[in-house]
Amino acid sequence: MKILHLYYDIMNLYGEYGNISALERVLQKSNVEITTDRLTLGDSADLESYDFIYVGSGTESNQKLVLEDFKKYRDSLASCIENGIPILMTGNSFEMLGKTITDCNGKAYDGLGIFDFTSVEQNKKRLTGDVICTADFSTKPFVGFINKCSEISGITSPLFTVKHGMGNNSESKSEGLHCKNLFGTHVTGPIMIKNPHFLLHIADIISKRNQGFEVCANHLDYERKGYKITLNELSKRFEE
Amino acid sequence: MKKLFTIIVCKLLKFAGGLIGKGSSLPGQIALKLCPDILSRINLPDYIVAVTGSNGKTSTVEMIAHILQESGKTVAWNKEGSNQIEGVTTLILGSCTLFGNVKSDILLIESDERFAKYTFKYITPTHYVITNLYRDQLTRNGHPEWVYNAIKDSIHPETQLILNADDPMVSCFGYGRDDVIWFGVGDIESDTTEFCGVYNDGAYCPNCKAPMTYTKYHYDHIGNYKCTSCGHKRNDTEYTVTKSNLDKGEITINGKYNISLSLKSLYNVYNILAAFTVASIVGIDKDSIAKHLSNYVLKNFRVVTFELGSRKGTLVTSKHENSISYNQSLSLAASDKDKCDVLIIVDAISRKYFTGDVSWLWDINFDLLQSDNVKNIVLSGTYCYDLATRFSFSDVSADKIKIIESIESAVDYLDNDSKEKIYVITCFSDKEKFLGKVKVD
Repeated sequence: MKILHLYYDIMNLYGEYGNISALERVLQKSNVEITTDRLTLGDSADLESYDFIYVGSGTESNQKLVLEDFKKYRDSLASCIENGIPILMTGNSFEMLGKTITDCNGKAYDGLGIFDFTSVEQNKKRLTGDVICTADFSTKPFVGFINKCSEISGITSPLFTVKHGMGNNSESKSEGLHCKNLFGTHVTGPIMIKNPHFLLHIADIISKRNQGFEVCANHLDYERKGYKITLNELSKRFEE
Repeated sequence: MKKLFTIIVCKLLKFAGGLIGKGSSLPGQIALKLCPDILSRINLPDYIVAVTGSNGKTSTVEMIAHILQESGKTVAWNKEGSNQIEGVTTLILGSCTLFGNVKSDILLIESDERFAKYTFKYITPTHYVITNLYRDQLTRNGHPEWVYNAIKDSIHPETQLILNADDPMVSCFGYGRDDVIWFGVGDIESDTTEFCGVYNDGAYCPNCKAPMTYTKYHYDHIGNYKCTSCGHKRNDTEYTVTKSNLDKGEITINGKYNISLSLKSLYNVYNILAAFTVASIVGIDKDSIAKHLSNYVLKNFRVVTFELGSRKGTLVTSKHENSISYNQSLSLAASDKDKCDVLIIVDAISRKYFTGDVSWLWDINFDLLQSDNVKNIVLSGTYCYDLATRFSFSDVSADKIKIIESIESAVDYLDNDSKEKIYVITCFSDKEKFLGKVKVD
């Protein structure tokens, strides 16, 4: 099985490599042999040969730099999404899939245009905060933290419904982007560790696409306890 | 009249606040309401030294004040650490005459990095020290580039910059200026040629974004760097640590000024070097600077020694949400020649605001605790299971780890007859929860 961590050394704010570590561990515990490729700017990859692809958050300027490089994958990425290869993009990385990203000076950068949404950045106020949200594929709520400076408009299939915290833009209670097995979200950090049910959901998708190996779920005690405490702390806080 | 009235109100509020033990920010806040441009109406001393950066501000400022005062200068400085415009206003109005003259020889300002642009809208520092730019409190600060842009807006063209040459992003502030004073660390024995850490914020040039190379890393991305494309590189330094022996606790600046360290961390070395640089510029004799810095113990309570029953320990305040600060504390415990137990507490993530975000734990290099001298590692506080998860992905053996959610029970657990020292690694927000239960030296 092959995992791809794309732009690992430049789209790496907020400890997000933890997502890869968590997935590697669950697959190893499930007796699946894996290799992980960590690639960056200037490398080339056959995206469709991977079983899971991940891209994390970067600074606004690094995202623009990566965007230029990322464009070479446009068609193969579109077919990965079409074919249901599980892909996770956190933070501002998923903004690259839209039509345009407009920076704080009003300059518009063309995105990959796989989806129709647009992102607009500003440099006055960092938009940050804890979130609790729900997703239609999970009975358990998600916890996490959003750290961004952009508003996104025009997403028709969001990933989350926000119970507490920010959505894709100031008017929206929906967050992220969901299409088949593509998961895009501004919930940053190791979201698959903070939400062990999300990790298992991704592992299940990978399993279903690979002769249905049995996903090991009995090594996540600390993660489950950490999740419960965070959910409890955030809920208390939001209800105050 | 408005000026006189504002100064009197601020002084009275500061006095009243002092009686009840608070008020370093409120008097200034009210003064700014009464007279928003009050700071520009005050006559300031010839030397106005500002210090900002992610880490080391408070310690650097404290050491500068110490040297200057020991050398007979009068210094007005924000020793309470209120470092946004309100706190700086309290400081300045509190130290000026009723007519608005600051009589001290030097005005020394620690400034919050993101809000410096508001403070320095009204005050033009003569000298501006920028210590470093790290991932710090990202839940508010976003990321280092975001903070870089905020600091940039606070710099006046006529201010002389004093910059850490070993920090590739801080060095960018020097572009277009020919009077920058650079400080930095030369080749020292603890240098590595390979990057040690979880993430490398020096991988790409902050100036042009091409890959960078390093001949030496001092710690994390602080070192001797060079861009492969635009030529951005470490500047030659006027103030340099030319020799450093952290085991012995000795450093030498500019080949001849020897300083003994009370805190044997490279972090502390940078703060000392910055303080040495500023004091030299202000005109203090270098031999006496070295004398005043030698064995100086910081009073800002970042490092506290204590006794727990028969055991001795050191609490190292390490900023949550700041992996580089944490790495330095872990190195301190791991490099101790004596055996030790380490207690790590993450209970409240910040003392100033609420967040449940622990993503910063993933940026910390906990592998540092793999060292043989570290015996037991106790994880405690509300977020102990997030810590435990993080450790489960480190190279530290699981046998060493003990999880005790309640801080009180963790203290009880450590209150035993072991000979080992105790290192406590925690943040401002949580340290009193521990120190309240032990005998502080």
